[in-house]
Amino acid sequence: MRRKTGLWTRIADRVNRFRGKTVERDLGAYARELERIDALARELDLQAASDRGLVSRAAELRRRARSGQSPDTLLPETYALAREAAARSLDLRLFEVQMIAALALHRGRLVEMQTGEGKTLAAVLPACLNALSGRGVHVLTFNDYLASRDAAWMRPVYARLGLEVASISEGMDAAARRSAYRADVTYLTAKEAGYDFLRESIVRHPQDAILRPRHFAIVDEADSILIDSARVPMVIAGCDDVPGDAQRTRLARLAGSLRPGEHFETDENRRNVYLTEAGAEEAERLLGSGDLHAPQNLGLLTRLNQALHARVLLERDVDYIVRDGRVEQVDEFTGRVHRDRHWPDGLQRAVEAKEGLCLADQGRVLNSITTQHFMRLYPKLSGMTGTALPADREFAEFYDLHTAIIPPNRPCIREDRPDVLFADLETKHAAVEREVRAARARGQPVLIGTSSVQESERLARRLRAAGIDCAVLNAANDEAEAAIVSEAGAPGAVTVSTNMAGRGTDIRLGGSDERSRERVVESGGLYVIGTNRHESRRIDRQLRGRAGRQGDPGVSRFFISLADPLMQRFGIGELIAPRRASRIEPGRPIQDPAVHRNVARVQNIIEGQNMDIRRTLWSYSAYAEEKRRAQHEARSRVLAAGEPGLLAGSRPDLHAALLAELGAVALAERERQIGLHFLDLGWSSFLAHLADIRESAYLNVVGSRDPLQIYLEHAAAAFEDMQAYVETSVAESLEAARASGPELDPNELRGPASTWTYLINDNPFEWQLSIASPRQIGAGAWAAVLAALFWFVPVGYKLGSLLRRGWRKRKSE
Amino acid sequence: MPSIFGSLAKIPELRKRIVFTILMLGIYRIGVFVTCPGVDRGIVQKLMGTGGGLFSLFNMFSGGALRQMSVFALGIMPYISASIILQLMAVVVPAIERLQKEGEMGRRKITQYTRYGTVLLSMIQGMGIAFYLESLRSNLGEPVVAEPGWGFRVMTIISLTAGTAFIMWLGEQITERGIGNGISLIITAGIVAAFPDAVFSTVTFVEKGIMKPFTLFIIVVVAVLVVAVIIFFERGQRRIPVQYARRVVGRKMYGGQSTHLPLKVNTSGVIPPIFASSILMFPATLANFIDKPWMQDFQQALNPGSWAYMTIYVVLIVFFCYFYTAVTFNPIDVADNMKKYGGYIPGIRPGKQTAVYIDKVLTRITFGGALYVSAVCVLPTLMIQQFNVPFYYGGTSLLIVVGVSLDTVSQIETHLITRHYDGLTGPKGPRLRGRSRR
Repeated sequence: MRRKTGLWTRIADRVNRFRGKTVERDLGAYARELERIDALARELDLQAASDRGLVSRAAELRRRARSGQSPDTLLPETYALAREAAARSLDLRLFEVQMIAALALHRGRLVEMQTGEGKTLAAVLPACLNALSGRGVHVLTFNDYLASRDAAWMRPVYARLGLEVASISEGMDAAARRSAYRADVTYLTAKEAGYDFLRESIVRHPQDAILRPRHFAIVDEADSILIDSARVPMVIAGCDDVPGDAQRTRLARLAGSLRPGEHFETDENRRNVYLTEAGAEEAERLLGSGDLHAPQNLGLLTRLNQALHARVLLERDVDYIVRDGRVEQVDEFTGRVHRDRHWPDGLQRAVEAKEGLCLADQGRVLNSITTQHFMRLYPKLSGMTGTALPADREFAEFYDLHTAIIPPNRPCIREDRPDVLFADLETKHAAVEREVRAARARGQPVLIGTSSVQESERLARRLRAAGIDCAVLNAANDEAEAAIVSEAGAPGAVTVSTNMAGRGTDIRLGGSDERSRERVVESGGLYVIGTNRHESRRIDRQLRGRAGRQGDPGVSRFFISLADPLMQRFGIGELIAPRRASRIEPGRPIQDPAVHRNVARVQNIIEGQNMDIRRTLWSYSAYAEEKRRAQHEARSRVLAAGEPGLLAGSRPDLHAALLAELGAVALAERERQIGLHFLDLGWSSFLAHLADIRESAYLNVVGSRDPLQIYLEHAAAAFEDMQAYVETSVAESLEAARASGPELDPNELRGPASTWTYLINDNPFEWQLSIASPRQIGAGAWAAVLAALFWFVPVGYKLGSLLRRGWRKRKSE
Repeated sequence: MPSIFGSLAKIPELRKRIVFTILMLGIYRIGVFVTCPGVDRGIVQKLMGTGGGLFSLFNMFSGGALRQMSVFALGIMPYISASIILQLMAVVVPAIERLQKEGEMGRRKITQYTRYGTVLLSMIQGMGIAFYLESLRSNLGEPVVAEPGWGFRVMTIISLTAGTAFIMWLGEQITERGIGNGISLIITAGIVAAFPDAVFSTVTFVEKGIMKPFTLFIIVVVAVLVVAVIIFFERGQRRIPVQYARRVVGRKMYGGQSTHLPLKVNTSGVIPPIFASSILMFPATLANFIDKPWMQDFQQALNPGSWAYMTIYVVLIVFFCYFYTAVTFNPIDVADNMKKYGGYIPGIRPGKQTAVYIDKVLTRITFGGALYVSAVCVLPTLMIQQFNVPFYYGGTSLLIVVGVSLDTVSQIETHLITRHYDGLTGPKGPRLRGRSRR
């Protein structure tokens, strides 16, 4: 890196920045900063300083930070100090590239650093720097296990600078969380941070608060958290005392008895299922319900649709697993199992009914926020990942994060071999098996990445049947799997995993202690086999990146088939010209480059579509987020000080009377309780309204109006209604309380009996987003066609006559 | 309405966008006065006053640029033609249809093709105009083009194509960084540009005593009324209630909007009258090229202003209203789509029954829409004949202007709403700022 960034790179960067591009490759500025840090370190002679000396320097830095000095001023000394601390505590001296990354992180960049480059350690430096002022730094990790592991691992380094570090995991109670948040640096998952925020948003007493104001967050595996999972809303729901639903079990059975094609049909992407006329009649017959589409049967029809959806579109072991009497979703991107992901409203219960489980409580949504919006609540944000491109534009657009690409410490010598393409799954798996066998013979370790739990199980069974021993990871137990993954580099090891299992743990060649490193290096390094393309090239790169860390040799290769779920879903069959299709021989790899291009094209299309969906969802959720912030503010005011304005403004007479009767303190308390109660109820209803409006907004395409506009109009009206409702209800309630006496009935106003948090899998009804494109061409359009045609007539005529004349002239010469 | 301007002043982003749009439109208008090279402007102007029929239609769409024979003479029409052609091809050619469905990548490709098509069409039409110009002479026999020949033709083609490409770029800039739909705004700007002139000549008429002040008063009243009627019908919708049976309805503590399927009274917009007048003008255009006596008689019978003309005009408009609605709005598709996402009209089975119902309702309201469009389009002829109004008011140009204005205003509204400010109008009608109900 000390080699200067090439001239072309610098020029290109400057031009790109002018054009609004968002990727930084010219790291010259950072290199210069690093030189200054090195110079300072030499000047202060840190390497020779005593431990006590370091500690006192750190204390001085903290003092300066708290007294108001900006982190930028303190940066050189802090980084130099931290580097020394790391060297002493962990015996790890930060590489140049790690220092550059640390500098970029402080500047609020998204850093792309390849796997194994030491992101965890690099993140410690900006965390220290920004924690000096005592305002707290959050490091958001990929899962709970990594949060506690990294916190424990880095604690000695932080300790040398006098900083406290803590971690938060799923089961911790409020008191433990509160003290964890008080630490200088807190390691936790983005999800837990979001949930804590949501829990905070419905507290009834100021002393229940556990969060400090947000300050700075460093997001690890940023592309997964900020892009892939970003649009998933985090939800906190309250139980509503709705008893379990026996009708659903009946409906589940009914749905099972309906026949495909005859009673119901699915759409081309298999995202929606609906009853045919015959199906509706059959259901009516079996249920004895009369016209299912009559207004009074709305609830019944809804539950039947959900039962149908659960039966037809959701498959056990692909979309979800059943464990401990509960339904747990499998994430489509990462293959992870999520205990706390629910399908929206009622679909979850339909799935539970289908599996014959005890139905969980149905709750009312109290508040929700998407990961996207939650991240934006941090005043300062930065991130790191092994794969930022090609999503860099999204990072810039949604999070204002510009990407900085950090070159690897040692150049990557991994060999990425070209894809092997088959016509069907069986041949593909057979080929994979052969490949694994060959690698085993060489003593080369193999890591196989599959796209679903189902496929990984299937492949593992096949390999074992062939006498090849393999370990299977499906992200069920992060800690155990981290141990398994760290051994995946041992000679002859075969590990089958879904995409995200074991992330964050380096695979060292020759086993976790590198005992057989020589042997593995000779056999060619780690061999990563992908069994299909993923929805984004980025995720493909993630998989490849597991091999070839720190200049190690390695190989990666993708084995794909035309029958893969992804290819099938997006209709690869139609893309391939029939004559080429007929030339495909089953049982042998497809060599035709045109077919390979088609496969790449499918992936491109899917990427574009996903980007579209994310963008559209962004526009729809932006409004809700604004309102949420407004609501949050109003609520905080009421929570803190029992704002008198709530009543005094709208009903001054009532206010005066109550003031006389109860006195200021009691009135304030009562206003606070009642205010919070109705604010929460109103907000919850507003969220329900938004969901309804969103569902039907697309119908306005028919009226050639932009659905988003209609949605916004209706949402604004709903919000106003909500405000009016809250005002009126508060006034009425206080009035009623006055009539019934000074004691408030505690039952009336309590919050929900229990609350729980979950993520909504908003996917199931792949929504109407794709068709919501209003016609852009308006008036006069067709006229232009006619006009153009009318021009053709005379022009053609004139040209014709000119040509004829010229021709005749030629002939006569 | 002081509140809008107040709001506008407070939202810098909105202000920037509006200013930008006005700037771009200003550039467009200035460009209209840049004459095509090789053409004598003075002579062209002398000539153009007497153009009729098809020519005036084109002139309207080119925003008066045709009269000036400016580089913008072709207007934005080649672009619109190209996109329509591409849309038509999407129905026929499966490769293009697939592109449409492919999300962002596909759309970008289609936009590229559209741009190529625009250039191609501009070149062809440019050639036509070059020929046309060469054949023009003023009453005194002065040629419009001093040096005809292939050099002139090529230069004209290049200039006109460049002009159209520039307008295309302006339109896209407005859509991206300004407010409203750039292309529609450019067309509207062109139409509206004729307005001050019309006002001026009307006032002159009154001053010179050609027109009585009372007549002027009537004209103004009629003008306002017509605009009001247009707004009323353009916003007019028959709302069919729709239920969704996919999600369990959350418990809502207060009432809300019901979801509905909006069927516009005038689904086909401005297209039918344009089709109708194009067809009616075809004989006239042909007559320019075919010099036969029976052609001239035919043309005389169909003279705009004659009762024969107006009757046929109305019949054609009604016909095209139904025709275009039938082509662009497919009740079966809508019903299928609703069924797919779990929507249905309460009391009516999803699928075929729903399609039949929607079709029935649509047929009925389209009739009303067709009558209204005919009335608006016949109006200018009446005004010119009965009231000696010196300008063309009504018909397609007015429909376009009002339609685009409504669209743009609702877009501004959206910006207002998303910045905490109440919209100007809402599903419940116009609202003042703050709470006005309960």
